[in-house]
Amino acid sequence: MRRLYQGLLRLYPAAYRQEFGEEMQRVFLQAQAECSIAPMLKRARFCARELVGLFSGAVHAQVRLLFGADDWLRLRRFNMRPEFRFPRSTVFLMCVILTGVVLAIHKAKTVAAVSEGLRLETVAIWHPVVWLCPFGVVLVIVGAVWGILFALRRTGMHRLDRTQAWPGQK
Amino acid sequence: MARFPLSEPVFLVLLSLAEEPRHGYSILKDVESMSGGRVQLSTGTLYGALQRLLDQEWIERIEEDAAPRDRRTYRLTSLGRKNLQMEITRMRHLTKLAGLRIAGKEA
Repeated sequence: MRRLYQGLLRLYPAAYRQEFGEEMQRVFLQAQAECSIAPMLKRARFCARELVGLFSGAVHAQVRLLFGADDWLRLRRFNMRPEFRFPRSTVFLMCVILTGVVLAIHKAKTVAAVSEGLRLETVAIWHPVVWLCPFGVVLVIVGAVWGILFALRRTGMHRLDRTQAWPGQK
Repeated sequence: MARFPLSEPVFLVLLSLAEEPRHGYSILKDVESMSGGRVQLSTGTLYGALQRLLDQEWIERIEEDAAPRDRRTYRLTSLGRKNLQMEITRMRHLTKLAGLRIAGKEA
């Protein structure tokens, strides 16, 4: 259990581990020692609680590191960085607009085909995959943007904003 | 930035530190005792809450030269105490309101 705990601790960001890792292990060992004389069921509940708590804590810590402290839970906006903030509704609106454009093109093609005297049966029937394509494209674009922002963040560029000049330095 | 209402674990952690400065294990046991065994924090949850509270400056570490790195003590700051007081006032108001409404319904 101790090894598993130490292994799960590795899921936390390095800075977090450095700050709290030893302390967490010590508290865990104390709690485990106290629980060791408890009935089997209580011990199992303790282990499950610790593992779930540690895993969810690691996810929280990673997300906090990525999106910034406390803001990640506010799902009204994507808060990767203040300068890249945009409302969540943007993605939905983009999808709606894209779907509208695709439908308009499809309708125009149908009308054009009918006006040219072709029978409706000859007009291409849209496969469901074609319908899903725009959403796929949007998802890929969103993923790519997120990836670029993630990569920028990993470079540590955002830390430059936080640097301060010494007093008297211009 | 303060966000109310506080979650129950965070509220209990603050309440535990309001009495006296404590280290991690002591907070864990005190929270369990205060809630009558209903709230049992895991170490992951506890330190997640402590980290947020440290970031928000609601609590602080007591720097002791003799204290080992894995046994550090935390205490409530004046900001933390003020926010805890605000939360207690909010809860008191709600409890009073609920009492009045239920009494009015029963009458």
